[in-house]
Amino acid sequence: MHIYVTGYGIISSIGENVEETLHALRSEKTGIRQGQKTYTERFKVGEIRWSNNELVERFSLTQHASRTALLGMIAAKEAFKNHKLLAEIKTGLISGTSVGGMDVSELAYKDFLNSKTDDLNTYRNHPNGTTSEQIAKELGIDGYVNTISTACSSAANSIMLGARMLLSGQLDRVVAGGTDGLSQFTISGFRSLMIFDDEWCRPFDETRKGLNLGEGAGFLVLETEETIRKTGKKPLAVLSGWSNASDAYHQTASSPEGLGATLSMKGALEVAGLKPEDIDYINAHGTATPNNDLSESHGIRAIFGDAVPPFSSTKAYTGHTLAASGGIEAVLGILALHNGSLLPNLNFSQAIEETRLTPIKNYSEGHEIKHILSNSFGFGGNNSTIILSKI
Amino acid sequence: MYFIQHIESITHQDSFRKENLWSNLKPLDSDHALISPDYKSYIPAATLRRLSTILRMGITASKECQEKVFTEFDSISVGTGLGCLTDTEKFLLTINTVSGDILSPTAFIQSTHNTISGQISLDLKNHAYNMTHTQNAISFEVALTDAMLCVYEGKKSVLTGAADEAISFLERLRGTLIKTTHPFTSGVTFAVISPNKNQSIAHIQACEVLVSDQTENAVPEFLKKHRCELKDADLILEAGEQFASTGKKHVNFLTYSGYYQSASAFAFHLAHDWFIENKTAQKALIINNLESGKLGLTLLSRNEA
Repeated sequence: MHIYVTGYGIISSIGENVEETLHALRSEKTGIRQGQKTYTERFKVGEIRWSNNELVERFSLTQHASRTALLGMIAAKEAFKNHKLLAEIKTGLISGTSVGGMDVSELAYKDFLNSKTDDLNTYRNHPNGTTSEQIAKELGIDGYVNTISTACSSAANSIMLGARMLLSGQLDRVVAGGTDGLSQFTISGFRSLMIFDDEWCRPFDETRKGLNLGEGAGFLVLETEETIRKTGKKPLAVLSGWSNASDAYHQTASSPEGLGATLSMKGALEVAGLKPEDIDYINAHGTATPNNDLSESHGIRAIFGDAVPPFSSTKAYTGHTLAASGGIEAVLGILALHNGSLLPNLNFSQAIEETRLTPIKNYSEGHEIKHILSNSFGFGGNNSTIILSKI
Repeated sequence: MYFIQHIESITHQDSFRKENLWSNLKPLDSDHALISPDYKSYIPAATLRRLSTILRMGITASKECQEKVFTEFDSISVGTGLGCLTDTEKFLLTINTVSGDILSPTAFIQSTHNTISGQISLDLKNHAYNMTHTQNAISFEVALTDAMLCVYEGKKSVLTGAADEAISFLERLRGTLIKTTHPFTSGVTFAVISPNKNQSIAHIQACEVLVSDQTENAVPEFLKKHRCELKDADLILEAGEQFASTGKKHVNFLTYSGYYQSASAFAFHLAHDWFIENKTAQKALIINNLESGKLGLTLLSRNEA
């Protein structure tokens, strides 16, 4: 049984919807710039320019909530915009997030530490699960609502769980993806790990120093064949493969040989019933940290040998959007399938000596692209791969 | 079939490595405290020092499960309502008080929700599917349904459970955001689910979650779907008293677990052990109505001889 993608929505620093995102991809325009907030101004980040209040107004949202929830509502609403809620189509929502409503709760907590009166009601927005409940409410979805929190692989895992819930017949349709808004907590956390690049990040480049953070959300609507017969939706793509595996090497670092990455790519190919040579484009995790890109390169080599298909990391466009990245990159993958496009790995100039892999350097269209493999790897050695295929 | 092979809890009850939880069960009094096992027998001292309570509990309970079932886990599915609160608060304190460019990353690293499941995979050198679910008060149930899905897909030995830890900050939210009279507590429960019966005494007949403003008829509808009625339940474990007059025996599990978001995982353990405590019991129902607007329903049945 096929799992079809029948809707997609995205917001990130390169665009507020699918159309704007495609335009930015085509013009090779990054969304990363010097931060505009007090806690981002020292860094290059993929920030969305609007404040939380501005987001509510601009996108006609019905709830005031944390940034993570608001960004999630925007992308999920776009994905679900031409869909109708029907009693006979059991619809669920699965969202991934790393820090949930931290961007608002950290402000209240700061007041508390400074012996000012903190608005206790603010903490209502804090739990990760609450952000998903708020997104579901915005769409009118109830019943099965769930949140995955596996750091940077959260959205990919949400999409994977969505497919499995459909295959087992527990749901007929699911809105799945991920969202993360930037917070001081996250910025300081990655700063403490000393994995920022003060310049624009350079995934898979020998001179790469680290990542640029970003924020955003990406969601897909998934339906079974049977549901499509009822909804009459035209599928955009097939979600053909998925897998999650544990690297079990270190809480934050990836294994040098990329074992977890290899296992997740292998597992997804098996689910899809595809061979490595069937993959036409890899959207790599490619955070631009020295550790991730080397480990992932070894994983790619282990699966594809000397016949590595065109690949790139799109994180030099959006920044690393953490729990949202798997959802955002799934949307980019579908755009690549539709337009036969190979997405460039911006800022690349020199291959990593050890693995000698050269990513796609420039945007181009019109290629025959049938199958795309997309990687998302998170802290805790949580490695996930999904495969999207042309209808 | 979803057979429960083994189950362990570390809570404010004497619940770790116990044959039957009901033997020593006491309502929490004012002296209650987390009853910690000797973590040193499970976790190397150097590692132990940097681990918060929730991580210590998670690793220890899962390791004990692994020792008891032998078979390597082929999936791990963990639920947590609020995640690693101690490290989250610690890092918030750090970023608000420490000036300069050098911050210790340990609390940040360990604040991530999936540190629990990640540490388990690291500790057990387990490369299998590794998932962390967080849906407020039904976090255990969403993790359990994923574990059951893994078994449905052919997995043979699935570790599942939930963990939450209390921090004193929660007291500030009592009565406003968290409406409970029960003490805030910490707890972890891990179980191993398998399609093979082996030595198991009970199986999970069904587990469902519902996030909705309308949950009034959900319990009878759930039971009807599984060909059962409230009066058939030999034990009803509930996060309250709404169903106190129904079933043969009713227990508000918060009396024993205290309040934590995944306390229904402890109720799951209590339900399992009820089949040891009461030789004739056939069915146990867990009604997790800890928070309004959401419901977790789990039905356990005694295995046929």
